[in-house]
Amino acid sequence: MSLQKITRLSSLRLLSSIPHQQLLLPSIGPLTASSRAVIQGEYRRPGQPKEDKFPWQKIKLDFRKGLEGMKKHFTLLKTEFTDRWVGPEGKPLIEHMLEQNRVLWEFRGPESLEQWTVSSDREIGGQSEVYLKLGKNNRTCFLYGTLNSTPPRDGETRYSGYCTMRSKQPLASFDRKIHYDWSSFNTLHLRVRGDGRPWMINIAAETFFSHQKDDIYNYFLFTRGGPYWQDIKIPFSKFFLTHRGRIQDDQHPLWLDKINTIGFTLGDKADGPFQLEIDFIGVCKDYAHTEEFAYETYKRNP
Amino acid sequence: MKEFFSHHSAHILPSYIHASDCCCVFRGQCGGSTMTCPRCLLQLQTLGLLGRSAARCVGLLRTPSSGQPSEPQVLRHFHPSPGSAKSRSVPAEFDRESHKKRNKSLITHDDLFEQVAQEAKTKAMFNKVVDIFTKRDIRRRGHVEFIYAALRKMPEFGVERDLTVYNKLLDVFPKEVFVPRNFIQRMFNHYPRQQECAVQLLEQMENYGIMPNMTTKVLLVQIFGEKSHPMRKYQRIMYWFPKFKHINPFPIPQKLPEDPVDLARFCLNRIANDLDAKVTVYQMACTEVTESGEEVTLPYIVGIQSPSQMELLTKHNPSRPVFVEGPFPLWLRKKCVYYYILRADPPLPNEKVEEPYDPERCLDYPLQLDFDLGRDLGDDESFDVEDLDEGPVFAICMTNQGDEATLNQWISGLQQSNPVLGQVPTLFRLDAGPQELDMLADIKSCHNHRPESELLKEDWLPEEEPEVMGDEELRRSQRMK
Repeated sequence: MSLQKITRLSSLRLLSSIPHQQLLLPSIGPLTASSRAVIQGEYRRPGQPKEDKFPWQKIKLDFRKGLEGMKKHFTLLKTEFTDRWVGPEGKPLIEHMLEQNRVLWEFRGPESLEQWTVSSDREIGGQSEVYLKLGKNNRTCFLYGTLNSTPPRDGETRYSGYCTMRSKQPLASFDRKIHYDWSSFNTLHLRVRGDGRPWMINIAAETFFSHQKDDIYNYFLFTRGGPYWQDIKIPFSKFFLTHRGRIQDDQHPLWLDKINTIGFTLGDKADGPFQLEIDFIGVCKDYAHTEEFAYETYKRNP
Repeated sequence: MKEFFSHHSAHILPSYIHASDCCCVFRGQCGGSTMTCPRCLLQLQTLGLLGRSAARCVGLLRTPSSGQPSEPQVLRHFHPSPGSAKSRSVPAEFDRESHKKRNKSLITHDDLFEQVAQEAKTKAMFNKVVDIFTKRDIRRRGHVEFIYAALRKMPEFGVERDLTVYNKLLDVFPKEVFVPRNFIQRMFNHYPRQQECAVQLLEQMENYGIMPNMTTKVLLVQIFGEKSHPMRKYQRIMYWFPKFKHINPFPIPQKLPEDPVDLARFCLNRIANDLDAKVTVYQMACTEVTESGEEVTLPYIVGIQSPSQMELLTKHNPSRPVFVEGPFPLWLRKKCVYYYILRADPPLPNEKVEEPYDPERCLDYPLQLDFDLGRDLGDDESFDVEDLDEGPVFAICMTNQGDEATLNQWISGLQQSNPVLGQVPTLFRLDAGPQELDMLADIKSCHNHRPESELLKEDWLPEEEPEVMGDEELRRSQRMK
């Protein structure tokens, strides 16, 4: 089982297939077959003891929290009801039908940053740092930090060095999951300003089986660097399927009707400071693009 | 028949014959037939059908196992022959060492590398170590550990991006032994540790972005067979790597220019993204001896400006200042360079002048088209976002010394082509330069155990730092000319 997993290509490492990408030396120890279960919870660092608690012991009851929750959830419920009267997704029907593009995230003030989470390899014991803040005139999102690809010295982890920003899963009232429906679009449109480093865009869609919950669709985002903004259009057909960072043999097109999150990952093994400024993230319909899927879907490696 | 065998004997003779020879043989045919051919060769020999040349070749193959009586036993001993072990070209002292080592059972193979590393860490030495190991023992005892050790040592020897070295390491595996021979072996992991090791080797290749070649494939087929895990890994690499080989729309050449001025020129062209833009070298790096006898090193200054930027600058309101800002980082793979920009604040809303469109500016090419493109209701393809007006960028420059005096020189150089700069006040908004950043990084590494976020944020981020130079206003008119 483990062998089959490790023979898959790591998707971030595919960047190195771009010729002459100089990569840093990871320290490679003898391979230890990972014994992680198929369905797993949070990442547990090697050597960290298991949390010895029953699930009900983790529940914290608090009156104030309850009140806040009531307020939040009932407001959400109310908007859900009223939005129906306006039209689908809270927009008038005519607008919904004629929609050619949609701005999904733009950054206008500190509350827009609350829809995002950042994480780095610190949680596996690495030393990268990543921070998120608003840009100079509070109109953009500025992701910055340092990348450090020294692997943690725990004897098992062989690679390290990533920084990630990921949007939060949208939730309706009473913490029900809702999803983005982008099925009327075919292209992702971003306006970014980077510093020349390659990034990776990750899109997580809703899956049916629980073992697929780590399935993520990826593509690369190349920044030019410099003081100018850069408009990037990436067709959704280019996204390829990975599972826990390993690119899969049987590829499927990304189904756009239930999208959960979008994320940006940096892991190009160049140690040092990085920055990425995002103006907005949107989706649009590109009529010139007719490709359904960029990769072969027939059965390979029989 | 004879020809057939003599043709094939090139790769039946195992691995130490260079795989590049057999690679051409392999390309035409299915790999499976090659693997079976030694066997059928042996069968044929028992049948007495063989010609002389084939018999010779089999005889050569059988030399190691002349003690083995039965035919199927011979099959197991195809892996590299001691024929090479007799003619050792290894220096005697290594040989003695290796004899000594053999007595101890639990030696690490790192030792071998470290002994060599005392002399020189080169590719030749690395190859020599691999040779020593290969020739030490017919059975290649401990080859998995050796390969892991070698993989770890590769970056030290500077061979981590060398495909031939990887192939040589793969060659250490004995051939034919790990190929599953019946369906049960094929069903389960046959020799899992060895397969893991080979997968690890391929993963390291992948990690450094090296594409395996046909030699690697031949070796993998010889070692593990057609459908083993390393072979799968190889196929996956060969499937995905070429797909993404050229997707970078802003390619960076394999070797960055050595000369900093050339590098600066390349970077400026890359970030300016304008074919009209002109790169000017305002000053070359040189050392001068002043009258007092001191040596002064002059930094290089390379700038870029396009005609449209010059036009913007002439239209700039002279009462409002322009800013020199920087340094901003730019990454070219592993290299980080810094650049500075000359820009202005966005014009105030009342200052904005709508440029009247002049139809006679260009007669060949219409500058404005008023067509109803047959658009339907709602066919609006522009995004509904407010435009981010950050003010125009007038010029970009790169220098290796980001202090104010150097940048002043850049401005005065710019002034020759943009006379407006003489009347416009220039403000320097410089953050900590790269050197200072490095220093900060050093300090930071010293205090690594400090609690993170706030502290690091403070001394890290250029924007939040109290500006080193301060917002000193330097009137251009007060300075020169």
